[in-house]
Amino acid sequence: MFSFAGAPVPVRADLRFIYMAAWGHFARPGATLTGRTRIDVLHAARRHVAEQSAQIIGIGPELGRLADALYRDPISVDGSMVRNAAAVHGDAVVVEVISIISMLSSVDGTHRALAAELEPLPEPEHGDPTGDVATGLKRRRTHIPVPAGAINVMFDLVPMEGAAFQMLFGPQYMTGWEMGFERFGRTPGLNRAQMELVSSRTSIHNECFY
Amino acid sequence: MLRASSIAFDYSLDIDAVVNPLVPTGVPGGNLLLRLVDAVLADTEPLADVHAAIIDELGPEALVDAASVLGNFEMMNRVAEASGIPIPAQSIDRDRVLIDQLDIGRFIKY
Repeated sequence: MFSFAGAPVPVRADLRFIYMAAWGHFARPGATLTGRTRIDVLHAARRHVAEQSAQIIGIGPELGRLADALYRDPISVDGSMVRNAAAVHGDAVVVEVISIISMLSSVDGTHRALAAELEPLPEPEHGDPTGDVATGLKRRRTHIPVPAGAINVMFDLVPMEGAAFQMLFGPQYMTGWEMGFERFGRTPGLNRAQMELVSSRTSIHNECFY
Repeated sequence: MLRASSIAFDYSLDIDAVVNPLVPTGVPGGNLLLRLVDAVLADTEPLADVHAAIIDELGPEALVDAASVLGNFEMMNRVAEASGIPIPAQSIDRDRVLIDQLDIGRFIKY
């Protein structure tokens, strides 16, 4: 698993480790979706057919549309798309879908940047959705209910999604602790200024102010 | 952040390079890294060519780092758009000159 076949260079163990963990997370039942449904959504989003396959997958078409757009064309995602899906299906399932699609985009993005074959998605695990959803959160001029805080807490309505999302930051970019050092760098590898050129240019392509 | 880290490393960053990769970045290997992003997200050139150049100039580990940072921001950009996390008005006011210089104010949706 995660051999990065086709990449011209070997890939760090910490990256392979978190990607394996993400795959395990995708396969397990989520707060509102079974493992089967989560994997089906991810398969369909990769092929841009989540909306047209929504009934087969067992999700609403609004969620399928959101999954397709978020994976393939994030520039097209806006508040009305997210809030409309939430109005029909509830906030928790919307957060769950946004979370797994965003994380898949990340793992697949790394593979594409290395010209590596995309990792096949895992087989789903059995079991019912956990129902593990936080209470007391609210929209803070956001499309989804969130706690007060920065972008790292955006999925905390569904705690296991929030935890999985936060797991990816450090090995892919910098940990919160490392971000405290303006002269941070990997040795050997890129320093912070070089990394921030990559992140800035990526955001320009995605037309994302963040 | 990019400006601060460039100062910390004593680089003469030209921030315009972020929106115009023909401009020399002032960061070692910086324009190669921009070429990688453009090749992945806009198919501007064969990936093998820019891979070889990065490996030659910055090393194989740098290529993995660049790929993972790109992957990370493929995620973060999606999280930002889908969550609608607002950009604080004071941040916009503070960076108004830079925002206008790079013409990125059009990306602010909320």
